[in-house]
Amino acid sequence: MFRFLLRKLSYGLLVLLGVVILVFFLFNVLPGDPARLTLGQRADVASLENVRKELHLDKPVPVQFFLYLNDLLPISLHSKQEADASLNYITLLHFSGDRILVLKTPYLRRSYQGKKDVWEILTEALPGTLVLAVAAMLFATVVGIALGILSAVKQNTWMDSGAVFASVVGISAPSFFMGIVVAYLFGFVLSDYTGLHMTGSLFDTDPFSGRVLSLRNLVLPAITLGIRPLAIIVQLTRSAMLDVLHQDYIRTAYAKGLPARAVIFGHALRNALNPVITAITGWFAELLAGAFFVEYIFGWKGIGKVTVDALEKFDFPVLMGSVLFTAGIFVVINLLADLLYSIVDPRIKL
Amino acid sequence: MQQSLLSIQDLTVSFAGNPAVNGISLDIVPGEVMGIVGESGSGKSVTALAIMRLLQQPGRITGGKLLYQGINLPELTENEMRSWRGNEISMIFQEPMTSLNPLHTCGHQVMEAILLHKKISRNEAREQTLALFRQVRLPDPELLMHRYPHQLSGGQKQRVMIAMAISCGPRLLIADEPTTALDVTVQKAILGLLRDLQQQTGMSVIFITHDLGVIAEIADRVAVMYKGRIVEEGTVTQLFSHPQHPYTKGLLSCRPPLDKRLYRLPVTRDFMEVDPSGNIIEKPQAVKALVNSLEIPESIITGRATFLAKQPPLLEVENLHTWFPARRNLFGKVLSWTKAVNDVSFFVKEGETMGLVGESGCGKTTLGRTLLRLQEPTAGSIRYKGKEITGLSRSSMRELRKDIQIIFQDPYSSLNPRSTVGQAILEPMQVHGMHGNDRTRREKVKELLAKVNLLPEHYDRYPHEFSGGQRQRIVIARALALEPSFIICDESVAALDVSIQAQVLNLLMQLREEFGFTYIFISHDLSVVRFISDRMMVMNKGKIEEAGPAAQVYEHPQSPYTKQLIESIPKNIYI
Repeated sequence: MFRFLLRKLSYGLLVLLGVVILVFFLFNVLPGDPARLTLGQRADVASLENVRKELHLDKPVPVQFFLYLNDLLPISLHSKQEADASLNYITLLHFSGDRILVLKTPYLRRSYQGKKDVWEILTEALPGTLVLAVAAMLFATVVGIALGILSAVKQNTWMDSGAVFASVVGISAPSFFMGIVVAYLFGFVLSDYTGLHMTGSLFDTDPFSGRVLSLRNLVLPAITLGIRPLAIIVQLTRSAMLDVLHQDYIRTAYAKGLPARAVIFGHALRNALNPVITAITGWFAELLAGAFFVEYIFGWKGIGKVTVDALEKFDFPVLMGSVLFTAGIFVVINLLADLLYSIVDPRIKL
Repeated sequence: MQQSLLSIQDLTVSFAGNPAVNGISLDIVPGEVMGIVGESGSGKSVTALAIMRLLQQPGRITGGKLLYQGINLPELTENEMRSWRGNEISMIFQEPMTSLNPLHTCGHQVMEAILLHKKISRNEAREQTLALFRQVRLPDPELLMHRYPHQLSGGQKQRVMIAMAISCGPRLLIADEPTTALDVTVQKAILGLLRDLQQQTGMSVIFITHDLGVIAEIADRVAVMYKGRIVEEGTVTQLFSHPQHPYTKGLLSCRPPLDKRLYRLPVTRDFMEVDPSGNIIEKPQAVKALVNSLEIPESIITGRATFLAKQPPLLEVENLHTWFPARRNLFGKVLSWTKAVNDVSFFVKEGETMGLVGESGCGKTTLGRTLLRLQEPTAGSIRYKGKEITGLSRSSMRELRKDIQIIFQDPYSSLNPRSTVGQAILEPMQVHGMHGNDRTRREKVKELLAKVNLLPEHYDRYPHEFSGGQRQRIVIARALALEPSFIICDESVAALDVSIQAQVLNLLMQLREEFGFTYIFISHDLSVVRFISDRMMVMNKGKIEEAGPAAQVYEHPQSPYTKQLIESIPKNIYI
């Protein structure tokens, strides 16, 4: 177990390092002068030079890379004034001069637009994305598994073909299209009946009480986002259940005299879950990375929208930050998925 | 006559219009063990499932009655039937490996059955389960309560199945091939257990098997099934001493005898022919007379032995080790090893058949794979025709594999379902560029099909159209395609019914006569090895326990392990 976690963690760190290298060099070759992007077109040469120095752009690329890596690492070396200016840290060790070893949240640099700390931008956007992803996956998992079981148990009936047909439609419909259809239909045409709006975030700004939680804005984007995972979960659950229902131990369970319901839920379902878990965790990680289209269409403030906005403005630090953030989420979710397998199936020893 | 517990009257079961069971009638009296014998596809399992009303679609009971204490089971509602299943009538299945749910503990699975049918608390159910585990002689019942099926051996799993089946004190227990997938020593223990439990509880047992040897160990009466009908029924002594139906005679005689060597095994075709319309034509033939006429005289056996002794060795194995890492530390260093093959030395002479017997997990399959270097040895030397092969390069090894062929256990999974039989046999010839062009190769394939008693027309058929025995013959033909001189048979007949097994063994013998093959014959079944081998080795825990001429090892076993193996073989009682 310990060995397994250690191995998985080190793989995860390697993946992250790879992503950092890739992202850093990729954004280094992109056109655009960060100093100009920060200061605008009318800045004077002196300020530009200052900003270049601040962003270490005057140093050779490998040095820049190690400085970037140093900023990302949770334990790193900095000068005291640099740390005070931009880090959220605890000092671990003092060195000669004013160099200190610090424990800190990863420093993803500052946005070119408004100089806001990228880590802050992303953590502010995270709750929106998290709530949306959880809601969408909850919807997809519960409904998907239920429909999957139903169509497996009622194989070759109208219920089965209906569920399969609907899921094929669900898989084929791209989310930007479904998003517009759903938003228009339920948020505009039927708005009077549903009470829902075309756009809105988790927190609305109310003229009197300021930020208020508004959960009803969640409904439409969550459903839109959940449709494709739902469709895939239905298919996977169905085929896994069909497979399991023909196993010998299911016959044993019936031979004990168990009623069909107990056999399906007590014996078959858990055995059918493995491929479904793979799908659920994979999709969940993907949704956490930000559902770009859906967040954009519904005006939902989340990682996806932040990233798309940054892309429009060539805001490299935010883009790099969100890519790294996403990679981190994937690594963590994969680790959790492996743990989940071992909980569901005692044969998998970690 | 005693009131019967279950009376099967004119039962017919059909699968989408094709009858699998065709009007059978059978009475089971309280307290008796009724054996049902037949080959796969004879309808014996279908009968059992029909009694339990667990037939899978599209199987349906289309006629007849199943009177259980006067109540017709097919007329019960599903709810009524459910309260009888596992309670009044319970069942044990063939595959202990897959018949338990892998995600529930053994204790839970037995308790579930008890709690379902009895109104008692969980604690009482747990106590009862522990008592049952003791009753089926499982070691360490408290521990096994919390174990998952994959942590148990096959025999232990079958004991858990039995505990589950008898947990509610059923009056009828149906055991469908409960020992077929197990080693002989485990089989003997399970049969003894079932017999004891039957005597303690006085329940009736329907015992289904393809092996008459097993029936002799456990049953009071037997019914022989053939193609959906019961062709003969009687007490065990009656049936074994005076078989009436030709099919019964065939079944009785096709098990390799332990007391004599035969030119070939008797098969059902010695006693009957089936004409195209499916009618049985009986041939006048007595079991004993036929077996006696097939016996090889002592002089020929000793002649062959002295001839083989003069032959040069084809394969010499010295101090062979094949170890697998069992545990590693944090840095991947191996802490302990599983010693699958541990210091094994032997030789095989040209033209000789070497038998290798052992129970599952003894290392015999690993040994076979190591000889072909499908598994790399850890240490030791293997010399083939005097040439060391452990250090050979890939390409020269490939050349050598043409000469050494292996025939695996499972004819169902060793043929690609998407290529025709002809392609399957043709492919190795193409790979090695034999016989010039594809036209001559195709001719060669047809010849080979004829050699293994299949028809040239079978060339374009797919594997699923063939029975298990036919498929194994296809696999043999494929091995022959490369004109090897050395063949390793790894449990090649283990998955087959005894009657089919006899046919395949005969084929292997006949091919040996014709081509002078050298065989290593790996099997868990000592009687099969005894039949086909000149010399044999008994393997246990990675080591060779004993080796010598087959008859000598069988008649004068030296090691206690060999003695135990021999005692566990179901004995033939017909001669």
